[in-house]
This record gives sequence, structure tokens and C-alpha cells, in this order.
Amino acid sequence: MALKFLVVDDSVTMRRIVLNSLKQIGHENFVEASDGRDALNKLNADETINFIITDWNMPDVSGLDLVKSVRANPKTANIPILMVTTRGMKEDIVEALNAKVNNYVVKPFTPQVLREKIEQIVSSVNV
Amino acid sequence: MELANNMEKLFEKLGDLKSFFVYGQKLIPTLQKILDFMQDTVPLLESVNKSIAESTSKIPKASHQLNSVSSATELATTEILDLVDGISNELNSIFSKTNEVKKNLNKQKELTSSLLAKYPDDKEIKDLLSLISDEELKLVDASSNKIQESIMNITIALQVQDITSQQLASVNHLINSIQEKLAGLLLDLNGKEREPDKPENKLDTIAFNENARYVKDNESQKLADSLIAETNGLTSQQEIDKLFSNKNE
Repeated sequence: MALKFLVVDDSVTMRRIVLNSLKQIGHENFVEASDGRDALNKLNADETINFIITDWNMPDVSGLDLVKSVRANPKTANIPILMVTTRGMKEDIVEALNAKVNNYVVKPFTPQVLREKIEQIVSSVNV
Repeated sequence: MELANNMEKLFEKLGDLKSFFVYGQKLIPTLQKILDFMQDTVPLLESVNKSIAESTSKIPKASHQLNSVSSATELATTEILDLVDGISNELNSIFSKTNEVKKNLNKQKELTSSLLAKYPDDKEIKDLLSLISDEELKLVDASSNKIQESIMNITIALQVQDITSQQLASVNHLINSIQEKLAGLLLDLNGKEREPDKPENKLDTIAFNENARYVKDNESQKLADSLIAETNGLTSQQEIDKLFSNKNE
């Protein structure tokens, strides 16, 4: 099944870089959101989204709150989530894993790392 | 006898009074100095008050300038990404054209080889076959691959924009806190009611990680990978909680 990504980041630059990286590794199907609230609206409106790549630090609804909301909703609870963030402290990573992100990428990242993490997630869960 | 005792007490009290006046005489210059100092301090305090008021009024401008820096770098980064995309598209078209040329060359090579098989002694066919080579194309491919790698490195480096924006937002947040303190101090000094902040004066609306750093040593990624690897074998949330509670000790 083809992956449809929801790329969530308040930084236009980072959204663009993530999208470019996705294109570089062969993924062309994606939707963008500028923060957690926008992402939840997009998820409600589009049931074909089956992969979320989200930043952590965003205004209003943060990436971590987004993860919690997605996991709490039975309709979206099983969508794989990859957190891509500048937060590289152990307690941050633990907090994200406790919120049930599937994998974690620390910025700055390379397209190879992104590909590796997406592949790890896809092979471990039924997308 | 009683009179003598009373007189003695009276002299004692007079003695105390005398000591008090002597001490007072010594104290008067010091008190005068304190008064002089306080008189000198009043203009100084007024000057401090004025300078706090000036600093407080300048902070929003400084903050907006920092925000402008973030916006300008974001715009510039987007322009660079546009250029990078353009170069990347050109490269892709070069790759597809060189692939076509390679296919044509291979076809030519096959045809010429089959001709040579028919006419093995034909020198012109032999010469023609020796001329058909894709060595130059391999060089073009190698150069294109290097350019593509450079493009990828530029893209990675451009993530610095997001990271520095978060650092600037963190500084803005700090400036905002200082403004709040100074505004409170002004309120104490002037006794005026503080006006509520106008929406345009809200300094830090950008979410940020104050520890954001542009480092490519991968240490944080390795840490994340190891923590994820440790949780992968665990099936229950209880086990994951136990692992992390041990790690946080």
C-alpha cells in the first residue's frame, strides 16, 4: 500500500526539507500541516493519511500533544508516527517514546536517516 | 542619707545625658552625610527610572528585529531551496538524457559488433567499434553524482535555519521576561497602573527548544536509536515504564 504522509512542522523551511527528502527517497504522496491543530484537522478531513512525520516544538498544539491526541483517537491510534525534532536529550526521547511515537529523528538529519526510520517503521507495523 | 542617694542617682542620670549629647554631637556629621547622600541619590534614582523606562520601551523593537532576522533567513532559505530544487531537476534531466545516450550507444555497439561479425576484416568497422565508448558518459555520471551529493549536503545544512530560529526565539523569550521584570519595577517606582500588552507587543509566540543546537556528531541520534532498540523487544507499557524508570534513576 502506498504511503501518504502528513508532514507537520511550523517551520516552512523544515517542511520543505522533509518533503524534498521524501521525494529524494521516492515518496510523492503527502499533505502538510503547520502545527498540531492543523494536523488534527487534516487527519479528520483525510482518512487516507497513513504516516505522520511531526516536529515537537510548535505553537498551540505541540508535536507531543498531537501524538497523544492521535493515539487517544481509535480512528487514528494505529497511524505510525515519526518524531523529527531538535530535542535530543534523553528525557525528551523517553517522553516521546512514552507517548508512543514509533521512531525518533534528531535534527539535523540526512535523507538516509529519514529513509532508514521510515523503513524500520513500515517493516514493524502494518501500514 | 536618702537625699544623698537621690543626688547620686541624679548625677548618674546627668552623666548619661551628657554622654548622650556627646554621642549625638559625634553622630550629627554622619547623619548630615547620610542626608546629603540621599539628596544626591534622588536624581540618580530618577535617572535609573528614566533609563529603565527607555530600556523597556526599546525591548519590543529589539524583539521585532530578532523576529525579522528569523523571517529574513526563512525567506532566504526558501529561495536557496528553490534554487536547489532547480539544480536537482536539471540533474535529473541530465541523468535521464545520459541514460538515453547510453542506450543508443549500446545499440550502436551491438549493431557495429554484428557488422564486424559479418565482415571481420573490415578496418573501418573495427575503427568505428573502437570509437564507441561510454567513458565520457561515466565521467558525466560521476560529476552529476557529486553535484547531487553536494545538493543533499546543502539541504542538510539549511536545517540550521530552523535551529537558529529556535535559538532566536529562546533569546526573545528571555528578553520578554526581562521586559516583564522591568515593567514591574517601573510600576513600583511610578505607582502607575500597568497597561495591558497590545497583541502586536507580544514578543514570543514562536515555539522553541532552548537547547536546539546545530551539531552533526549524531550522538543524540545514537541515543534515540539505542533507547528505541531497547523498547522494541518490550511488549507491554508496564515493561517500557520499568525500563525508563530504571534509566532515569
